[in-house]
Amino acid sequence: MTSLLEIEDLRVTFRTRHGELTALDGVSMRVEAGETLGVVGESGCGKSITALAVMGLVPDPPGKIAGGSIRLDGEELAGASPRRLRRLRGAEVAMIFQEPMTSLNPVFTVGDQIAEAIMLHQKVDGTRAFKDAVALLERVGIPSPDLRAKDYPHQLSGGMRQRVMIAMAVSCRPRVLIADEPTTALDVTVQAQIFDLLNEIQREFGAAIILITHDMGAVSEMADRVAVMYAGRVIETASADDVLDFPQHPYARGLIDCIPALGREDRELKEIPGVVPPLHLLGDGCAFAERCEFRFDRCDTEKPLLNRKGHHPAACHAVEEGRI
Amino acid sequence: MSGSRGYRPESPALEAWRMFRRNVPALVGTVLLTIVSAATLYGAFFFDGNPYEIVWAPHEPPGATAEFPLGTDYLGRDIVAGLLTGGGPTLAVGAAAAAITMAIGVTLGALAGFHGGWVDNLLMRFTEFFQVLPALLFAMVLVTLFSPSLTMIAVSIGVVSWPQTARLTRAEFLKIKELEYVTAARAIGARDGRIMWRVILPNAMPPLIVSATLTVGVAILFEAGLSFLGLGDPNVMSWGLMIGANREYILDAWWPVTFPGLAIFLTVFAVSLIGDGLNDAFNPKLRER
Repeated sequence: MTSLLEIEDLRVTFRTRHGELTALDGVSMRVEAGETLGVVGESGCGKSITALAVMGLVPDPPGKIAGGSIRLDGEELAGASPRRLRRLRGAEVAMIFQEPMTSLNPVFTVGDQIAEAIMLHQKVDGTRAFKDAVALLERVGIPSPDLRAKDYPHQLSGGMRQRVMIAMAVSCRPRVLIADEPTTALDVTVQAQIFDLLNEIQREFGAAIILITHDMGAVSEMADRVAVMYAGRVIETASADDVLDFPQHPYARGLIDCIPALGREDRELKEIPGVVPPLHLLGDGCAFAERCEFRFDRCDTEKPLLNRKGHHPAACHAVEEGRI
Repeated sequence: MSGSRGYRPESPALEAWRMFRRNVPALVGTVLLTIVSAATLYGAFFFDGNPYEIVWAPHEPPGATAEFPLGTDYLGRDIVAGLLTGGGPTLAVGAAAAAITMAIGVTLGALAGFHGGWVDNLLMRFTEFFQVLPALLFAMVLVTLFSPSLTMIAVSIGVVSWPQTARLTRAEFLKIKELEYVTAARAIGARDGRIMWRVILPNAMPPLIVSATLTVGVAILFEAGLSFLGLGDPNVMSWGLMIGANREYILDAWWPVTFPGLAIFLTVFAVSLIGDGLNDAFNPKLRER
């Protein structure tokens, strides 16, 4: 059975002054139509590079897709022609960015920008496209959309702008919608509204959503399945409930422990000590070993692969040997 | 934000205009340039005097005769007539040279900044080649080699002044192409040409408009300089030509060179004030002052 979007053993490398670094080291994930996949991890773990690779937007040079495959409905995207990728972008695969403040062009009205996105992929004239843009603004819950369409981005609030970005992203009814930390820059109350909107849009359009986030709360609210990433690898993957209730990998456990729980004053808020090691200092062993409380000798010599010894697939020697 | 009632969207251009309006030097510049332009338009379309015609004795000082309030030059030609008819060609050369400068500079700078890599390297070495040529000398060579026509003068000024514009455009493109809305434009499937001209260029416009305005002033000075050196178009009366023709007699008669000189000074001064005003209006960091 093929999924709508299948990423298999994807490798992305960057040429830097430290030599060639592997930003993504054999990443595999898949997502079905109408499903939401949460991709979780901290800054620099490769979440955003994965998204850019799917969009065909890995900056080249210095970056390049060094191996593996990305298949959209069976069609290979890794190594597809720039022309083909451009056709797909926006039409089949669309993206919502983290910073609604900076991801809209400041010199054009939001209506014009949405209309332009429509005209890039559909043969409609400007008037028609602008009407569609107004309709989309209404669809994403912007009041008096005909007036707001004539506003410039700086005249709208952050939440409004993110709604505009969503309107633009869904303007051509893409089959895959990548949301790269869509709510990080927004108030908590607005976050909830944006999630509701994304859920509605998904129900209506049947799109697959890849939600990139470091917020486990967002995952529990939105995701059907989860892939946890660390230092360019997927280290745990399962349904959202499984990962939240029975985290296997010590890093995933750490992430769950970091969620503050209201009314649980007995528990001190935990943190994961240390930071993600720089890519050029990764050795032969497990990238998380330095920060791990279950570390043993095997962790320093051998990179763990996903194994099914635990509750669900996780890439950890300690889990594999039943130590945790 | 005032909600939907009585709330009128304000475009960035309108906002810049409101800033500009509050800037006194810029307004002075605008008024000056308006006066100069009005006189020039009058000279070009309604004034029927001939600036080449010998109408009186040579070197009549200003104020001596009511008919020729600014006096006459070494051939006995009316200086007022020269000023009125000479304004058009002077301003036209300035504007045309600025347009050529912008056309070459923006195109090459945009291509270099957007593509980077070897394209950038090649174009920037090419730019530097032109930048290290002594501008006035190179323009003189061009005008001497080809005919000293007004068109050729405008072209040669354009050819020597585009490198600065190219560097400025390249710098803006390098900065803006890294911004998120450019990636966002790629993500909706926009092609390179559209991203360059529809996404990045409009955002790079403010410093370019300022630079274009100042280039008009520089080009007028350039034309005056070339004419002063005797390389002006002898068939078209311009302020520079008036100065050039009368420069030998400057010790006997100051007025035939002073009045066109003042006209050039006022025009360039006005253009510079406007350029500065635009710079302040477009620069958000200066807006709070």
